[in-house]
Amino acid sequence: MMLHKWQGDSPQSESFSTAVFPSVRWFELLAAEANGQRSRFEHLGYMDCVAEFCVTDVQPIPFVVQVTFEEFGVVDVRIPAANDRDRADFRVEGPLASWRGMLESIARNEGRPDLEQTLNYLTHMGTPMRVTSEDPVRRDLYFRYAQSLQEFFNGSARICTRFAA
Amino acid sequence: MQGVQQAQKGSSGSVVATLSGRRPQGEVLDEYEAEFRRCYTRWMEILYRNAERLARGQFSLHWMDTTQAHWGPRAKPSSRGLLYADINRLPGYGELPEVASWLNFAPRGSVRECYRQDMPEVDDYTVLERDEVWAENVMALYEEAKARQWNATRDIPWHELKPLSEDLEKATCQLCTGLTEVEFVAGDFPAKWMYRIPQDYLEVKSFLSTQIMDEARHQEVFRKRALAGGGLLHSSPGAEWALKAILDAPTHTMGTFLLNLLAEGLVLSVFRSGEMIAKTHVDKEIFRRCLQDEARHVSYGVLQFQWWLDHQPERVEAEEMLHRFADVGEQVILTAFTEPTLVEPIAILLGGGLQKIDAGMEGMMRVWSMFIHEYLQRCERAGFHRRPRCVLPMEAPWRVAA
Repeated sequence: MMLHKWQGDSPQSESFSTAVFPSVRWFELLAAEANGQRSRFEHLGYMDCVAEFCVTDVQPIPFVVQVTFEEFGVVDVRIPAANDRDRADFRVEGPLASWRGMLESIARNEGRPDLEQTLNYLTHMGTPMRVTSEDPVRRDLYFRYAQSLQEFFNGSARICTRFAA
Repeated sequence: MQGVQQAQKGSSGSVVATLSGRRPQGEVLDEYEAEFRRCYTRWMEILYRNAERLARGQFSLHWMDTTQAHWGPRAKPSSRGLLYADINRLPGYGELPEVASWLNFAPRGSVRECYRQDMPEVDDYTVLERDEVWAENVMALYEEAKARQWNATRDIPWHELKPLSEDLEKATCQLCTGLTEVEFVAGDFPAKWMYRIPQDYLEVKSFLSTQIMDEARHQEVFRKRALAGGGLLHSSPGAEWALKAILDAPTHTMGTFLLNLLAEGLVLSVFRSGEMIAKTHVDKEIFRRCLQDEARHVSYGVLQFQWWLDHQPERVEAEEMLHRFADVGEQVILTAFTEPTLVEPIAILLGGGLQKIDAGMEGMMRVWSMFIHEYLQRCERAGFHRRPRCVLPMEAPWRVAA
């Protein structure tokens, strides 16, 4: 789905949207949330990359979604086709329990994860989550945009998330 | 003390700091005057010509003649503003010479050839080969660096900082002391070379200036963190040797390999570890912000090195030279990264306290393996097959206590 690059700093709705994690719909809501916070992402600076997020242990196959960040927001969310895999600069993957732990922590703390639930904390040692890429220069984009990516997921505090069984 | 007082007075006999060491002020001023007197006729002719014109009340509008200029096409901004990439698309402005011949400040793309004989040359411009400095991503990194600047005073939630237990606080402050010590070399190295690079490579100079700013901010934020937590602790002789090895690197590319690819790659791992082991949200934010900057520097290092290798007419010989350099560089860097002022504080923070330092050392072993893997991967990406020659140990050079 192509998204509007940004929609300005719109007042946030008090009623949270509900979506199941992981799903394209959930990531679209997260993207819309980020695009509604343009000034925050502008303050953090450009972010140009295609990030692939993967939940490794959902049935019947791992859930994979590609999110395209451009300038200060998200311009595309999609399930990658077979020939799309090389679009992604890097992949962040982990089991549902780890994703869930991070998202619940973010929600519980109203937009900021506990110290042991940040993206970097969870991925740094390669377990329980990890970052992969064929190209180290493209993988380093994950580090170059670390703060923005964390803020992106912090926006999930404003989504009413239900988790896949 | 007497010398200091003389220098403050500015007397002609006082000894002052110059780029070639401390020398008598009068002596260096004599040399400066002599140099400009030697070229007296050249610049004085220009002055006379201008004075005569002004005295006659005449105008010279030769600068409106666009015959030799790339006048006409107008730069158009792209979606995010007017980038270097946008203006470099205009004919006559974006071509970087393989070897710079303009050793002054005349802008690339301006009408300048007809003035060449009247212009001075700056002897300090010595890095004349494009391939010593260029990287495919340098313009994008420059734009990104400007857009992703942050403020160590304002953007860190300092008011949230709470005291830690003594062992964790001291470990945090020691880590910050070490990082304060190493950060400025990553500013001093590009600064040392930036003024040796001619203006025709303006994109590179622009990027290097952002790296200098980044490193100033890192030094600032780690110094502030230490002083907000109790103070600076111990400096590190091993780090000092590594920093000297970087600063004294014989060429820009060699130094960039050692600083940006190897050392900053390692520091990037330290920052990522720092974010992971941070015991406060303040420390999390500091390390996350810093690691973003560091990753930019690493990216420049990898692609600058790749560009250099790809443009060497004698590739095998060039690689061999770099291997020789890396043999020394890796060992000296290892000296820094085995220092107790660095390893032990990280281990304490990784373990969660002094009593758990052994568990922390196990974590450090994983960080080490990851660093070596990433370093060699970056070398491969640049086209430098370092793996068989690497003198860094593949596994952490310590044992976990039984």
